[in-house]
Amino acid sequence: MKTPVADTLALDNSEKEEQYVHAVYNEIASHFSDTRFKPWPVVERYLNALPAGSVGVDVGCGNGKYLGMRTGDIFMMGTDRSESLVSICSERKFECMVSDGLDLPYRDGAFDFAISIAVIHHFASPERRLQAVRELIRVVRPGGSVLVFAWALEQNGRRKFDPDMQDVLVPWVVPSSRKRSETGGIDDAEDKVYHRYYHLFRKGELADLFETAEGCEVSEVGYDKDNWYVIARKL
Amino acid sequence: MRLITHNMLKCHVKNCTDPNQQFPLRFKDVQLEQIEAERNDEFLVRMLPRLDWPALLTTSKELGYSLPQSIPENPQDKDEFLQALHTFILETHVKEGSMVCNGCSHEYKITNGIPNMLLAEHEI
Repeated sequence: MKTPVADTLALDNSEKEEQYVHAVYNEIASHFSDTRFKPWPVVERYLNALPAGSVGVDVGCGNGKYLGMRTGDIFMMGTDRSESLVSICSERKFECMVSDGLDLPYRDGAFDFAISIAVIHHFASPERRLQAVRELIRVVRPGGSVLVFAWALEQNGRRKFDPDMQDVLVPWVVPSSRKRSETGGIDDAEDKVYHRYYHLFRKGELADLFETAEGCEVSEVGYDKDNWYVIARKL
Repeated sequence: MRLITHNMLKCHVKNCTDPNQQFPLRFKDVQLEQIEAERNDEFLVRMLPRLDWPALLTTSKELGYSLPQSIPENPQDKDEFLQALHTFILETHVKEGSMVCNGCSHEYKITNGIPNMLLAEHEI
């Protein structure tokens, strides 16, 4: 299957995100959610190391897989652009709301921490990715921290990407067997393929974004699960 | 939505910039529900600096709850205070209704316990 190249699309950035991110996640929400249950080790370590009493937000929380990871002595709320995913969080009794990562509805310095895991690669321009990072920093108090994961161009897993092509559409396949089970066994189903827009981050690019955003200090940079990640402390 | 969450929210309409008006959002036609939750005193005491107390007080009066004018000294020893705080910020859920900005009157809907904070294109 040939993957369309995202930067040849005759759409502006917000239209790209609407068509190739928001609409897709609303369509694939239940299948996506069923495949997202295992916490990534770095995120788990980060959340477990937070002091008791911490209050935070997960921006682009998806099905809420991190919202229930540590409860009782910290409080975490989630937000996502996809109403379908937020509904799944809500059914799981997680605290969540619908909002846009480019323009968060929280007061400045409201939180001790903010995480955004595999989200900002869906913003379709450098300015929008920078704005997303700035918003995360804005809503955290001075001394608080931010953890961001974004898909790497240099992946050593099952996916291989052209090193010259950072803006891509990546297929998501909902298998026909699943569709049949959801339509009560009516056998008219074929595999359904959706495309999601991704900006694949080069080595160093994510940390550079934090440097450009200003107001924070990068304290850890790493690679895990085909993603680059950065932990930064707000100054 | 729990009221701890409401305490973090502000109006983010582009031209709504007066910090005294953007926050806290005023509740309108809300349906509340109490859902019991386990009280964790360490959490409550240590998270106090994250709350905007005057805003929380405004909201509590609006909804008919009673909280002290200010955070008492040695809150870890004040059982009654901790219980009132726990009940208000963690056990009180807003199921339906809306939140209105005192500055620009923008209304954010809460449906089935989920606030929708998205703005229309021209409001961003």
